[in-house]
Amino acid sequence: MARTGFSRRAALTLGGGAVAGLATPSFKRLRAAEVLHVNTWGGIWERAAIKNLFEPFTRDTGIEIRPVSPVSFAKLAQQVRSGAYEFDVTTLGAGEIIRANQANLLEKLDNTDLVKSPPFAGAAFQNGASSHAFATVIAYQKAKYPNGGPQSWADFWNLQKFPGSRCMQRYASRVLPIALVADGVPMDKLYPLNISRAFTSLDRIKPAVRTWWTQGQQSQQLLRDGEIDCIALWHARTLELIDQNQPVEIVWNEAEIERAYWVVARGTPNRDNALRYLEASVRPDRVAGFCRDSMNGPLNPAAFNFLSEAEAARMPTAPAYRGKVFEQDILNFGGDVNAATQRFERWIGT
Amino acid sequence: MSAVPAPARGSLGPWLLLAPLMVFLAVFFVVPLAQVAVMSVSDPEWGLGHYAEIATDGFHLRVLADTFFTALVVSFCCLLLGFPLAYAMAAASPGWAAVMMVVVTMSFWTSFLVRTYAWMVLLGTRGPIARVVEWLGFATPELLFTRFSSTVAMTHILLPYMVLSLYGVLKRIEPSLPRSAASLGATPSSVIRHVVLPLAAPGIVNGLTLVFVLCLGFYVTPILLGSPREQMVAGVIGQQVEEFLAFGEASAMAVVLLASTLVVLGLYHRRFGLDRLWG
Repeated sequence: MARTGFSRRAALTLGGGAVAGLATPSFKRLRAAEVLHVNTWGGIWERAAIKNLFEPFTRDTGIEIRPVSPVSFAKLAQQVRSGAYEFDVTTLGAGEIIRANQANLLEKLDNTDLVKSPPFAGAAFQNGASSHAFATVIAYQKAKYPNGGPQSWADFWNLQKFPGSRCMQRYASRVLPIALVADGVPMDKLYPLNISRAFTSLDRIKPAVRTWWTQGQQSQQLLRDGEIDCIALWHARTLELIDQNQPVEIVWNEAEIERAYWVVARGTPNRDNALRYLEASVRPDRVAGFCRDSMNGPLNPAAFNFLSEAEAARMPTAPAYRGKVFEQDILNFGGDVNAATQRFERWIGT
Repeated sequence: MSAVPAPARGSLGPWLLLAPLMVFLAVFFVVPLAQVAVMSVSDPEWGLGHYAEIATDGFHLRVLADTFFTALVVSFCCLLLGFPLAYAMAAASPGWAAVMMVVVTMSFWTSFLVRTYAWMVLLGTRGPIARVVEWLGFATPELLFTRFSSTVAMTHILLPYMVLSLYGVLKRIEPSLPRSAASLGATPSSVIRHVVLPLAAPGIVNGLTLVFVLCLGFYVTPILLGSPREQMVAGVIGQQVEEFLAFGEASAMAVVLLASTLVVLGLYHRRFGLDRLWG
């Protein structure tokens, strides 16, 4: 995922939002009729959204969409509290959307087609529109394992069969489920997580983990430099390297999928247009194009009617991978996520 | 009437000139700092619970000790590398001194994240250093993700502060003093030991204090380059805020870090005087 880049517009729209916040109601209506501010991750993610989601929406409705980046969960909370909106719509991950909905930061989707006549099962979740997903996959250096590298998390953990250095993300809620799969827990019986068992499993691989990556960019460089033999990282980062002809292999088996959602900031004066945007954003043709260009996987299964087989093979949500991959389930985590993260950090440091 | 009235004692003039800065500092520095201090005892509830936890659970104290140890090592590495460089700059002709000054300050112009990634390449298993070691017939060394690699990178990033504060004092040493010592029969090493070093002492202490205090706040470089076991206080604070939204705990850690830094500066002030910190 391209989570880099800072748009100049963020500063401009911050000013614009403040002005709109102070303006008279009639001015607000005028603005509402014309412009919607949508929070994006910037970079290729934003370009994919503009081309496949924002521009078609503007063509249909006449409502202009201005992208605002970077994505900030903290800002969503602050906006709802202060009533000054820098963005009307933002994108959240699975852990964040639950927290945001519990904190009552999101507009209800009850009167939208997402709830009334859902285009696919699970189109609405915690007052978010289910948009796309990314996956944490296994990647390895072809040169290190000429006869094929680890094909599962159990292989990844198997240091006798696949000797070499390892690296994973410094992110407890993604690493703990993987540790359980490696320890033999069936993928459909992971949640609620047995957190103690996960740590015992992690103890086994710890000596081989030379470092824990914290930035997508870093995970890519570790693989490109040949510093790490075998790594757990985001599928888009791996595909990028393969597209650049780096001697790296991607393993889709047992990929860990994490969903992303579009949400409307509660109380925004542009609520109605924002909800229309959410409905349009999950349309199969649009989300298909967005996922193709941003290297994600669509959550609307009908999107695959608009994608070639080769394109679908690059997406963790493709029908071909069903049964071989598993999903995050933060609602049913099996304990306090923050406490697990604290424990994970201390575990790394000792 | 005289042309220019003498400034009356206690006149408001200087204070009015200072006022904008004072207001700025009050609004953007003192108030937020006070907020942090208040949050450390009030979020989520009033009490000294966060401080008690920091003092009693081994984790925070170990991280704090780790941070101070790293800062100490980096300060002395900067001194060892920076002193010869600053000495050469002070002794060089003005033209060469300017060139060396540009080279030293040039690394200020590069983002420290870029410099950190550059060290990942240099120290990597396919980097030039590993290649030289291989060429000499040894096994490929694993230099990255050790205390060594993070210390090297932090020393590099902080070296300019040391060189600049040493250069300031070395430049002011009367050139005839070392020369007279030499003409009276002192060997070059005893000239340095008995003449240059004592005169440069304020710059040495300045440099050490500056580097030490700046290093206390580092965390990205150790996370990217250092051993996973190595954790800096600033990183722990950042995580409390960004991941856990635990502002109370983070504030308490920040206050402890600030207090420890003030203790270092206080010791420095008692011994040398803070007004000399910038030469």
